[in-house]
Amino acid sequence: MIRKPLEGIRVIDFCWVGAGSYATKLLADQGADVIKIESSARVDGIRLSAPFAGGKPGVNRSGYFADRNSSKRSCTINMKTAKGREIARRLIADCDVVTNSFTPGVMERFGLDWESVHEINPRAVYLAMSMQGDGGPERYYMGYGLTISGVVGLHAMSAMPGRLPVGTGTNYPDHIPNPCHAAFAVLAALRHVRRTGQGQFIDLAQTEATISVLGPSILEAQFDDRDPEPLGNGHRRFHPHGVYPASGDDRWVAIAVADDAQRRVLADVLGTDDLSDSASIASATVEWDATDLAIALQERGVAAAPVEDAADVVERDPQLAHRNHWVWLEHPEMGETVYNAPPFRFSGLDGTIRTAAPMLGQHTEQVCRELLGMDPDEVAALVEDGVLV
Amino acid sequence: MVGALEGLTVVEYGGQLTNYCGKMFAELGADVILVEPPSGSDLRAEPPFVDGQSGDEALSIQFAYRNTSKRSIVLDMDRTEGRAAFGRIAGQADIVLEGQRPGRLDEMGLGYVALAERNPSLVMTSVTPFGQTGPYAAFEDSDLILMAFGGLLWMGGYADGPPVRAAGDQAYMAGNLFGAVATMIAVTNAELTGEGQHVDVSVQESVVMGLENAAQFYDLEGHVRRRFGGDQREAGFGVFPCRDGHVFLIASGIGGNRFWANLVDWLEEENIEGATALRGAKWGKRDFMASDAAQDEFWDVFTRFSLTRNKQDLYHDSQKWRVPLGPVNKPTDILESAQLRHRGYFVEMEMMGRSVRMPGAPYQLSETPWQLTNPAPRLGEHTDEVLKRFGFTVDERSDLFSSGAVA
Repeated sequence: MIRKPLEGIRVIDFCWVGAGSYATKLLADQGADVIKIESSARVDGIRLSAPFAGGKPGVNRSGYFADRNSSKRSCTINMKTAKGREIARRLIADCDVVTNSFTPGVMERFGLDWESVHEINPRAVYLAMSMQGDGGPERYYMGYGLTISGVVGLHAMSAMPGRLPVGTGTNYPDHIPNPCHAAFAVLAALRHVRRTGQGQFIDLAQTEATISVLGPSILEAQFDDRDPEPLGNGHRRFHPHGVYPASGDDRWVAIAVADDAQRRVLADVLGTDDLSDSASIASATVEWDATDLAIALQERGVAAAPVEDAADVVERDPQLAHRNHWVWLEHPEMGETVYNAPPFRFSGLDGTIRTAAPMLGQHTEQVCRELLGMDPDEVAALVEDGVLV
Repeated sequence: MVGALEGLTVVEYGGQLTNYCGKMFAELGADVILVEPPSGSDLRAEPPFVDGQSGDEALSIQFAYRNTSKRSIVLDMDRTEGRAAFGRIAGQADIVLEGQRPGRLDEMGLGYVALAERNPSLVMTSVTPFGQTGPYAAFEDSDLILMAFGGLLWMGGYADGPPVRAAGDQAYMAGNLFGAVATMIAVTNAELTGEGQHVDVSVQESVVMGLENAAQFYDLEGHVRRRFGGDQREAGFGVFPCRDGHVFLIASGIGGNRFWANLVDWLEEENIEGATALRGAKWGKRDFMASDAAQDEFWDVFTRFSLTRNKQDLYHDSQKWRVPLGPVNKPTDILESAQLRHRGYFVEMEMMGRSVRMPGAPYQLSETPWQLTNPAPRLGEHTDEVLKRFGFTVDERSDLFSSGAVA
């Protein structure tokens, strides 16, 4: 069997909701044993968020939760109980990474702040990814990807010139900048553990990691002494560069023209010499199917794309199908549902997603038995006492 | 202090698709060598430029930001000697990070298989628009085009108009970021097993990772999510005006509506007319919350309040009430942030004689801190010292320089 690259790394994962869970998914899908610590006493909010299998709500039915918790195990521990906190400490004593995405203070109340964890397990890498980081006047602030998008400027800068800002329409920081920076930092810190035996504290402020992907705009504002104007779909060098209507209801084609030779191709394909404004381009593109036009342009070396919606990317995009991007996994309650595979492939490693998201507490007994040597009666008693719930 | 990635040598041969990824390695301590053609990396010519200058000496802001802490070496890859020098350097590197078209390095005799023959533990990461193979592998791209192919462009924009691209080349950023994670995964494996790896990263697929729950909405409920800019996605969710701009409010739709009551408490405390009418079971029902009636009623009540306040005041007050609300900040607001100042997030940097504040550590590592070591290099600034480090003798270096294979 081909090796999973992160086999042998165990993560005790207190992350919930968006960015944190996505970060640990990146590790879990590569073979790390990610044990998600959660509780029915306070359910991860994303388990309660649509969409649900068959449209029917339930803690084990959310597709939003499922996609970002693939390949993990779920162990329910009520951290409000002293016995629960003791069990968590025992799990941490023999792990490689401890993660959380709470506001600062929560892990402290569990007795699991960085200093305490470091005492229990000096090799452990400790990732805390709160919204604003572990210091400063906004230390205790909470937020979600969309409000963070507002705070960091992504929302304001994503707009048509002169119109209301629109952002990405998603909790973008949760899906790309924050989980990737977090997973990268953890893997770097694990290298330091391999070399020195020393764990460390990673303080990732979700605002700061996202501003890091907007660096040029922050610099530009200083050189010009004013905020850069949103570009909308325009480009400083390319023209035409935009999104134009295609035939059908709410169908669009994106076109990016770099030079005169490409402009001539576009004029030829569209059958018009008038590329001066978007209205005249639109009057030609609207006659075309978006994919047909994009491919006709691509075949002649002009960058173009149909603006794909969710159904297009899942069902119709031949490139994503060729890459086997979508994986359908069987889940006990949801049935067979769709997951994102990681967006990269290894030549000699099994890098793809393993198992469907866990049911709430699905692995509590298994984890306590395997890692703590508990017998089933002991686990049952702790469930009865409201500890392992 | 020693960086977590100290001792790793990264040879970067790419541009937009790899520059930020290389920066991530460099600022955790790796020695990142940017290989540039004699005309310079493409990004050097990308506007905007510092102080709006143009010409050969102009400094591209994007290049300056994404290439800090690296060294630059000029190799003419159109010449045999340039390619041979690349092969010799890559033969001693831990990582080759490349963003050339699929097959381009193979044509030059520098593909993964060739390099791995002399360096079996090498990790080569190829970040390309669509991946190494497949029906679209040879397609042309731009950031906008990859946002479109990845489905994320569709999600942003106006409810009554076209999709709108996110600022800051986020498709390219996604490729860089997933490229960095994938490379570290392969490096971890290489250090444990001695086995190298070719890592094939697709930017299109990386963008797809940002679709949130749209694929699952389609799969589970048969619903294709649409953009909602300018509207509320549902009552209490979206952009609202305030006295000096806008705020983003998420009072609904999270964790079974767990914040709705907090907002109503806040509005009642402020004696806002109509606040009490926002109580009741219907304000948790998905169908009702999505209706125009619910959105209009909410809009009237909330803006009655928000239009009397500034965005920063709303942000700070929202936290006392545990309501997720963010100001729609602009870069100049971010430069003023007391929080970022307290955290020491910005690093001072000299650019073309001006001192600017550059975004600093995306993560604070207690034992192996993020470190900016030098500004983006001048073209070929380190060619000689890099060649020397990789064992090129004085004579070899002199021959390479005089032939023009390096500069």
